[in-house]
Amino acid sequence: MAAKKILVGSAQHRTYKAVVWGLALLALVLVAFAFNDVGQITLFDNKYNLSLTRINKAIAFIIAILGLQVIIGYTGQIALGQSFFFGLGAYITAYLVQDQNWGYLSTLAVVVPACFIVGVILGLPALRIHGLYLALVTLAFAAIFPSLVRLDQLFDITNGSNGKSVESKLVAPDWLPLDGIAGVLQGIPYFGQFFGDGDLSSREADRVWKYMLFVAVAAVCFWLVANLVKSRPGRAMQAIRDNEASAAVSGVDLARTKSMAFGVGSALGGVGGTVYVMELGIASPDDFSQLLAINFIVGLVVGGVASLPGAVVGGFVIALIPDWASSTQSVGFVPERWLQGPTGTLFLGALLILLTFFLPGGIVAGGRKLKAKFVSLVPQPPDLPNTPTAITTDDAVDDDVDLDAIERANQVQTT
Amino acid sequence: MDVQLLLARIFDGLANGSTYAMVALALVIIYKATTLINFAQGEMAMLGAFIAYTAWFNFGIPMWGAVILAVILSAILAALVERVLIRPFDPADHLPLVIITLGLFLGINSLAGLIWRLDPLRFPELFPSGNAIDWGTARLSWYTVFTVATILLSLVGLTLLLNKTKVGLAFRAVSSNLESSQLVGIKVGPTLQFGWALAAGVGTLGACVFAANPVLQLEPSYMLRVLIFASAAAALGGLDSLWGALAGGLAVGFVQSVVVQYIPWVPNQMSLAAAAVVLLAVLLFRPAGFFGTAQVSRV
Repeated sequence: MAAKKILVGSAQHRTYKAVVWGLALLALVLVAFAFNDVGQITLFDNKYNLSLTRINKAIAFIIAILGLQVIIGYTGQIALGQSFFFGLGAYITAYLVQDQNWGYLSTLAVVVPACFIVGVILGLPALRIHGLYLALVTLAFAAIFPSLVRLDQLFDITNGSNGKSVESKLVAPDWLPLDGIAGVLQGIPYFGQFFGDGDLSSREADRVWKYMLFVAVAAVCFWLVANLVKSRPGRAMQAIRDNEASAAVSGVDLARTKSMAFGVGSALGGVGGTVYVMELGIASPDDFSQLLAINFIVGLVVGGVASLPGAVVGGFVIALIPDWASSTQSVGFVPERWLQGPTGTLFLGALLILLTFFLPGGIVAGGRKLKAKFVSLVPQPPDLPNTPTAITTDDAVDDDVDLDAIERANQVQTT
Repeated sequence: MDVQLLLARIFDGLANGSTYAMVALALVIIYKATTLINFAQGEMAMLGAFIAYTAWFNFGIPMWGAVILAVILSAILAALVERVLIRPFDPADHLPLVIITLGLFLGINSLAGLIWRLDPLRFPELFPSGNAIDWGTARLSWYTVFTVATILLSLVGLTLLLNKTKVGLAFRAVSSNLESSQLVGIKVGPTLQFGWALAAGVGTLGACVFAANPVLQLEPSYMLRVLIFASAAAALGGLDSLWGALAGGLAVGFVQSVVVQYIPWVPNQMSLAAAAVVLLAVLLFRPAGFFGTAQVSRV
């Protein structure tokens, strides 16, 4: 089947974008109400959870992986210590909310600058050391985080091995017509049954509210990063990734750009940690071990390096797969003994190696290949009049451009 | 100052330091061959120790025989890993290689958890128990003496292997200049494979010796921290220097036991952090370490 071609910038493209975004938004709303409480799939006697709590956790991971996209994906610095900042953000939020009575979201005003500064400091080695050395140092810092928060001197702030729990709850505001939306969805013929029954309980309503907050926070982060990578500093970052020496020769300030990338990436890690605490209500030291740091790398690679949608896919992978793997208690021919234990980690490790071999661009690249079979976006050719290759209505310089002719030419080129 | 206490701390440092040096040695061998840091090194060594345990416990092979069997088996496994997972990638592009070794890390760690479960196991003692020096609180156990002896023997063996044999010569040629050694007809792939096998063997020996420590038990996560200490040791000694690994390992061991004891404001749990700071400081101020060769990059 030939792919349908859409010229970037055309009216058709605008419709296409509107449809895609509309579907995405619709999916977000449907997910909120459908998987609120019972989201569970049963497959061969195994029950797989898909409830909103897990999706909320995935959003926290997604934001942290987005930070790694900035550092590893776009700047090419192999930093493995994202769990350090994730934990830092989580603990700052837990401390401020529990002991200082701050609101959850206002703690971001501290988390973001704090993680930015610590990120710049821990990124300083990147100015002198490269590649593997940097990976080593950052992994070491990820490894020490749990023992850092267990320090006796910090006990009053971090509550040691017990973890810092937060009592304050996020309550859905009254002005939000959640029950109304649920009612509308339940009224849909045939599909209404998937959206539960009757009004939402207060726990369900709070969960949906948290989900909406997290989606909003994540959307802001994605919007900022999407703009960053297209801006001048973003281009400088990518120049460093592609060739450091030639970037320096072209006038990119290596130290400043790298430090900034580390700061931004780490700050996003901190925001992820804040979201994590908002969802779980507790920050405990062993949640932020070097295993989490490596899991973030798994998410980054499995989703797709240097791709923003890759962060989304990666976050879901590392939030859901370990959980699903441990819910898999019976698979036809495999003895039960082999399904109990760290199967999720084994699966992630295998996935990491297999994808590096067979799909280096991650799941997102695979998805793009699939999409290209159906829709292909044809870039708008450069603005024409004086370029010799331009096909215009006549040879004279003319502002009117025959779009059809260009499209035909493009079709010839791309096929 | 209490001399006995100081001596006790130094002996402690000696025991830990030699273990770190063993794993650091394995890291150095792979780094020398491929300029790659194998993040799965600790886990590979852990797997080797479990193989030795199984050979001893389930098949009744005498302990030292089991260790030697494990060393050989893990060398073969590492050679396979190199051939299948590492060689297809461009050695100059670090990210895919880091990702592969991280995947190995996760894979081996969870595989060991699946096979041997997560309960700690009692590794048999490899060395005579008791103390060689018993002076008040300052006790030097035979375990420590033999651990140091093991690493010294491994180092001498490795130095001889690399300097006196043909395969050692090829290894040194490849590590000093890959392209030139290709031009003179050295088979680069098998040579690097030999490096991986060698490293895994040394790592497994180190892990077995470490697991034989009377105060430790064998469990899938017991090498996690060691990897950080060992990489600090390797970086301190210079990532491409064999004897530097020993010096670095001992230095990190002493920092852990002596410094943490005598500097009051450094809390006890911070030995790992101390290692991380040593690592950071070395890489910042002297990236080549103390015995390594500095790398020059040309444009």
